[in-house]
Amino acid sequence: MKKKKLQIGSSLYIALAFVFMYLPIVMMMIFSFNDSKSLTVWSGFSTRWYEALLTNNDVAEAVYYTLVVAVLATVISTFVGTITAIGLSKSRKVLKEIVLNLNDLPMLNPDIVTAIGLMLLFSSIGTEKGFMTMLLAHIAFCIPYVILNVMPKLRDLDPNVAEAAMDLGATPWQALWKVIVPQITPGILSGALIAFTMSIDDFVISYFVTGNGVKNISILVYSMSKRINPTINALSTIIVVIVTLVLVGVNVAPILKEKFGEHKIVKNVVSSKPVKYALAACIALLAFVVYDNRPNQVSATSSSADCTTLKVFNTGEYIAEDTRQRFEEEFGVQVVYDLFASNEEMYTRLLGGESYDVLVPSDYMVERLIQEDYLMNIDWSLIPNSEGLIESLTYREYDPGMSYAVPYFWGNVGIIYDSTVVDPEDVESLGWDIFHETKYAGDVYLYDSERDMFMVALKALGYSMNTADEDELQEAYEWLLQAMNTMDPVLITDEVIDNMIAGLKHIAVVYSGDATYMMSENENLVYYEPQQGTNSWIDSMVIPADSKCPILAHEWINYMLEEEIAYNNTVYVGYSSPIQSVFEEVSTDEEEGYGGISAYISREGYAKDEMFHYNEAQRKQLSELWTLVKAQ
Amino acid sequence: MRQLIQFRNIVKEFDGQLILKGLNLDIMENEFVTLLGPSGCGKTTLLRILGGFLEQTEGEVFFDGIEISNVPPYKREINTVFQRYALFPHMNVFDNIAFGLRIKKTDPAIIEQKVKKMLKLVNLEGYEKRAITQLSGGQQQRVAIARALVNEPMVLLLDEPLGALDQKLRKEMQIELKKIQKEVGITFIFVTHDQEEALTMSDKIVVMKDGEIQQIGSPTDIYNEPENEFVAKFIGESNIIDGIMLDDYRVVFFDQEFECVDYGFHDNESVDIVIRPEDIDIVEYDTGKFNGTIKSIMFKGVHWEIVVDTGIQDLVVHTTDYAEVGKEVGLSFFPEDIHVMSKMVAY
Amino acid sequence: MNTFRKLVYPYCVWIGIFIVIPMLMIVVYAFSQAGNDVTTLSFTLANFQKFFSPVFGSVFIKSIWIAIVTTVVCILLGYPLAYFIAQKSENVRNTMILLMTFPQWINMLIRTYSWIGILSEAGLINTILSYLGLPKVDLLYTDFAVILGMIYNFLPFMVLPIYTSLSKMDQSLVQASYDLGANKVQTFQKVIFPLSLPGVLSGITMVFLPAVSSFVIPKLLGGGQYMLIGSLIENQFITVGEWNFGSAISLVMTIIILISMYFLKKVDHEVVEEGGKKV
Repeated sequence: MKKKKLQIGSSLYIALAFVFMYLPIVMMMIFSFNDSKSLTVWSGFSTRWYEALLTNNDVAEAVYYTLVVAVLATVISTFVGTITAIGLSKSRKVLKEIVLNLNDLPMLNPDIVTAIGLMLLFSSIGTEKGFMTMLLAHIAFCIPYVILNVMPKLRDLDPNVAEAAMDLGATPWQALWKVIVPQITPGILSGALIAFTMSIDDFVISYFVTGNGVKNISILVYSMSKRINPTINALSTIIVVIVTLVLVGVNVAPILKEKFGEHKIVKNVVSSKPVKYALAACIALLAFVVYDNRPNQVSATSSSADCTTLKVFNTGEYIAEDTRQRFEEEFGVQVVYDLFASNEEMYTRLLGGESYDVLVPSDYMVERLIQEDYLMNIDWSLIPNSEGLIESLTYREYDPGMSYAVPYFWGNVGIIYDSTVVDPEDVESLGWDIFHETKYAGDVYLYDSERDMFMVALKALGYSMNTADEDELQEAYEWLLQAMNTMDPVLITDEVIDNMIAGLKHIAVVYSGDATYMMSENENLVYYEPQQGTNSWIDSMVIPADSKCPILAHEWINYMLEEEIAYNNTVYVGYSSPIQSVFEEVSTDEEEGYGGISAYISREGYAKDEMFHYNEAQRKQLSELWTLVKAQ
Repeated sequence: MRQLIQFRNIVKEFDGQLILKGLNLDIMENEFVTLLGPSGCGKTTLLRILGGFLEQTEGEVFFDGIEISNVPPYKREINTVFQRYALFPHMNVFDNIAFGLRIKKTDPAIIEQKVKKMLKLVNLEGYEKRAITQLSGGQQQRVAIARALVNEPMVLLLDEPLGALDQKLRKEMQIELKKIQKEVGITFIFVTHDQEEALTMSDKIVVMKDGEIQQIGSPTDIYNEPENEFVAKFIGESNIIDGIMLDDYRVVFFDQEFECVDYGFHDNESVDIVIRPEDIDIVEYDTGKFNGTIKSIMFKGVHWEIVVDTGIQDLVVHTTDYAEVGKEVGLSFFPEDIHVMSKMVAY
Repeated sequence: MNTFRKLVYPYCVWIGIFIVIPMLMIVVYAFSQAGNDVTTLSFTLANFQKFFSPVFGSVFIKSIWIAIVTTVVCILLGYPLAYFIAQKSENVRNTMILLMTFPQWINMLIRTYSWIGILSEAGLINTILSYLGLPKVDLLYTDFAVILGMIYNFLPFMVLPIYTSLSKMDQSLVQASYDLGANKVQTFQKVIFPLSLPGVLSGITMVFLPAVSSFVIPKLLGGGQYMLIGSLIENQFITVGEWNFGSAISLVMTIIILISMYFLKKVDHEVVEEGGKKV
């Protein structure tokens, strides 16, 4: 009786553990059929994300790179790892110890340390980051796992088998392949399996060593964090189904074989030579099909001067879904489209040795890039659509001669709040100081960016946001600390969009463009720009001096300013268009555009509003102080 | 001596295969009993049923008159020396031996004393702090025995404990085991497939085959009076000859009539005759019971193994005298060297 | 076999380029000033001084604390799980282990994102709570969420090695313990658990290491204000651009991990080989 009870108890415990393990996966699968973008609120059944998956180039590309890197890394690391392990088993003890200890390093070291080590390596020898660097990095972290799995099998091996084989007339290589390798196959296979899994699942290392638009699934998911896209859920669901089928197949096949008693026949068939060749041919064919179908293939030499490839570096969700594809079709080229999360990240990546043809930095970053001679002069004759630019956006202080930067989107930073919960009086009277109003403690999002948060603090204190005065900055630091300590805020970046729409919290610091989108989705939300002044910014398109395709880059910029394209972009993204006619149309059209939504028309010409200027000393101070704010 | 253990009609089935086919066996107090048989005969299974690690499919096991089938192993007054010792690798010699006593919450001073005594018994004084991995096979064996005996069980089960040792060590341990059994004076049940081992140590041998008992008896009984061809062949080398029992004390084989000491068969019953190789003497031609030609001769250390062709059947002879191949000789034996067995009934 | 010895040489070169040099570069960066070219190095300890200031020290302590909590909870949850699985029949066992490793095939970020949907204020748990008429709880962007996310991601790494050491255990040892009079509980305490310790130790390594350096899980489930050592490094490299400071933190972390690994290995040896505790 007691035994029975115990058994039921243990089964129950196991069941609960599996519920825990599978709950998120089930959720993910369910929400891949959700009609809306939300991952939390169910709004009806739909297969739209599966349809989107078929047309989404980014996802196809990410899957392609993930698989190709994983397969190549697995094959190469399995081969190298196996022969190294065999060599080690015969090596002198000293060498063996040294190699094995160094081999442990990538496994023991945190991923992030391995990642930055490789990143430093690649950028110091000036390799262009991308597919090759990612593959090399994956091989580097896979080999140790193969060796780890093969070594024990070699230890169990009779040390004389190779000698026996050679005694019987085999050459060393024959002894290796015909005697040693077959006996350690289980170890090789499990090593290969681990290598494959590690490669497929890797995020951290890939994230640091990739570039030039080469993204695997993990990086894609990470860069999608702005309004996460359920196509990824759809993709994962498909992966789950495929893996399940494979596993069931692998596990059921032997049972079936046994049942039908064909064990030997099947084995013989599989191991017979013609079948082996046929299998090899099938695999080769499959490989070719995958290769042939890889997304948007243009001859492998990307970034050559013939310019069939344009490399664009922009923030996530800052362009309409089909713009890129339309450009590709119209101009017959391939666009490598890479994403960054912040201006600083963009700058670091450029520093890390990546090269692009078009960048989309903010004003102060444009200023910095100009100062550092990083940019190419714009040839306005190639951008006839610049005629349509809103005048107030031209000849601004960061590029007074209008020689480097072409406006892309513009706006302000403000406060968004839920008017059913937050008293508009409070917001309007307190301005930025609402983030010190403990009445709303626990109900606020702050924007996880040093610049934006110090802007808020400095403006709240009545200082210029461009101050480098240590006392003022110290005051701002304390203002922020107080906000952190008394308001229990959550620091997020783009998740603010979904979360505010879903009404999870009720006050947030936002960019006007995001506010536009949020207000169009949730009519309780109100956007407000404090009287204390704010940051009014312009994001521009620039061409790096080392661009290999300046002509095509100009084409891209011109294309972005084309009325129809600019219209699509602004409507999709929610940020204010720099094209006069488009801006007017969208700001008045209540049906298709954002008419009636105050955030779309952000405040212009207010005396206390400022634009950031680049100041290295201030930048350093801000980032240091901000790290301190967050670390406490 | 009283009966300690009784197996009654033990049947054990594994995956539809009968491992034990209704087995009955009584074991006395203070006996050294050996279960002997080829691998797969069910001897280890029987031992594990007694130890409580297996449950019989049918039948009953009595221990000291009480049915113990539902008593868990840790409550049986039986301890086991496992095939490969099963010493705890994370404990040293002392801790291994003290394990059972500590479980019983014995006073540490007594534990110390008892463990010391056991170490002395198994000749391992001074090895208390040694790690198990630092011991030789023979030493591990002794620790395993000490670990079992320190609990003062009424029965010690030994599951082929000498199998992993080399020839010389085996011999030593056989003698030592017997000595230990005498000293502690409890029942040892020993499982082996080595007939020599069985003959050396046992008070009683149980010969098993295919889940059934073939013969139970003292080593001399088993050796000299095997009850069937299987036992005869399994215990030592034998010449087995077809014969006919005319009536009591008269048997015919090799077309001759011989005097023997066996009786109680049917008249003219077909029987198997066993003559041990060492019981046959080689004598001058025509001076023995019958003649033959020396077919081969092989030196075996203590004796020569000679095969003699009698014209009907080859006979094996063990003798200390040399004989030349091809020589015609006579063969002789005494009536008491002829062992008559009933023909084995095929199952 | 000299012929086979040569097989090691290519990998020796590889190790030099992809393991040793990157590590050396981290060391070089860690000990030099911002903006220094590799050619004009000047030695400094400033990066380390900065790291050992109280503020970053607290980040460091918090990271280790979170990793310890994660590891301990993983042991408490994972050990019984591994034990119960190891008790099942072979077919059931294999299936369960398969189910255990299966989620690894789905991208870790996606699985973690899924938790946002479960934990957030409008998520599954709060929906159920409000359905039951209970007050909502703040789960997302808390210590709880971060630790939960880590446990979720790393639990299999604890269960698998423990399961392996349990299922590979010589059953005759367990029987010997019963034979010597130990009951189930005693057998577990004195034989099974000590013998499975190597599995627990490798589980600890496999959970603690990624937990202490993770930056994705804290970022997604803890929010931007959730600064752990991994996020600090990422921050220094990706946004702040202070590669030297970032390298210094990485170096400190590597050294601490290597030292703790060394001690863990030593403990492992003692447990397995030297016959354990003194009387």
